[in-house]
Amino acid sequence: MMTKEKISELMDGELEGSDAARTLSAVRDEGEGRQVWRTYHLIGDTLRDTRMLSQRFSERMAASLAAEPTVLAPAAGAAAAQSWRRHLMPVAAGLAAAGFVGSVAFLVPLQEPTLVPQPVAQVPQVRPTPAAVAADPVRVPLPLATDDYLLAHQGYSPRNLLQGVAPYVRTVSGQALEGRR
Amino acid sequence: MRSLALLLAVGCGFAQAQSTPEALGLLNKIQNATQRLSYTGTFVYQTGNRTEISRISRIADASGATEKLEVLDGVPREVVRTRDGVRCYLPASQTVKVERAGSRSQRDFPAILPDRLADLPQHYVASRGESARIAGFDCVSVLLTPRDDLRHGYVLWADANTGMLLRARTVNEKGETLEQFTFTQLQIGPVARDKVKPRHAARNWRVEDADAAPADLSEAGWTVNADLPGFRKIGEVRRRLRESLLVGQVVYSDGLAAVSVFIEPLADRRELTGRGLSNLGAINIYTREVANHLVTVVGETPAASVRRIADRVEFKRPQ
Repeated sequence: MMTKEKISELMDGELEGSDAARTLSAVRDEGEGRQVWRTYHLIGDTLRDTRMLSQRFSERMAASLAAEPTVLAPAAGAAAAQSWRRHLMPVAAGLAAAGFVGSVAFLVPLQEPTLVPQPVAQVPQVRPTPAAVAADPVRVPLPLATDDYLLAHQGYSPRNLLQGVAPYVRTVSGQALEGRR
Repeated sequence: MRSLALLLAVGCGFAQAQSTPEALGLLNKIQNATQRLSYTGTFVYQTGNRTEISRISRIADASGATEKLEVLDGVPREVVRTRDGVRCYLPASQTVKVERAGSRSQRDFPAILPDRLADLPQHYVASRGESARIAGFDCVSVLLTPRDDLRHGYVLWADANTGMLLRARTVNEKGETLEQFTFTQLQIGPVARDKVKPRHAARNWRVEDADAAPADLSEAGWTVNADLPGFRKIGEVRRRLRESLLVGQVVYSDGLAAVSVFIEPLADRRELTGRGLSNLGAINIYTREVANHLVTVVGETPAASVRRIADRVEFKRPQ
């Protein structure tokens, strides 16, 4: 039976070798261990005020992992890191499949409202992997005139019929653009 | 209303059988409530890592509605909408942006949704969702699930009694939340006049008037064609953006989401603007260059839709 302490230690990087492997494989299976893993991460993220993942993070993460070259003769020092990845990859994939990313996306916004809006344009963008370039357009920061476009656009949005003037709140928070002027 | 919804459901035939009359009826009820009710309240807007609180008040009377939105977090902004149009007050830069409702296309736009309610089931499946209690109101919900990947999905929660929309969530194809509006406090009923008055006298402020006028961009050589199933052109104007730019704007809508195409001379845009895709919650923006003009497509739709529209914009010098 997996103890909560083990999962907590694993997250803090205090477990090694077979101990870590055992704990990871327990977390990988749907069940109490996974639930504890999720809860602890959510608590940690909330305490640290971690930003939400960018859109389609799990897809891009999986793609960039897949695109990484296989090291045929790893240096001795890299062995530990490689073994970490071997353990983590199925977990990451499993969590993505289980809608873990989605549940974070849903839960995180319920934290205390931030008084100072974070600059939207500065959210780190994960660069598309070479394989994805053909399908994905280039990601660029929001245009400087975004607020003007949005104001001009909003008057036509059918959302006004359902929400009145509320959708006009959709503007870049001023600071995000101020930083780039 | 029930009969209308029923009629719609029958009229839409077997292929759209998944949309329930109850769900379409609720959508109709929300829309009626939005037009009819006076209210004042506070709502939270969430997108990405951003959370903002705003105050909103609306007075509906015989002369038409007056509404005010006041953003309480971060950089102060205030939007006042009357039947004459929209005024956006930005105290930090002492600027008022004005969008008049004078043009015919703008006056007609409130008719979009009722007209399109009949078309809606072709592109969305409307079904009833789970009930919830929000800000003290017992709410019923409707799910709008897109039938293709050209539009987002929506979940709307409305007061079971009045039909007032209490929460609206936009979701992507995986069901992840892209943006959400939620009332945290709401009072439905008569509202004092001063609640919808702008806070600022705005004397000596800079006025940026959009000065929009109906236009036909094809006369200037532009071919703009949404070519997206269900999206119809609902507006085409020439207008100002910021102080002096003359910009063409063509708007398409499928009844729930809208997409605007902006076309402006490149020479007027001296700052470096990226070419490609950017994102603001449920809104995607795609920018490209066509014939020495900047084409910017702004849409409440997935990235693929704005890109497709942008890629189809063409210029051919008029004969």
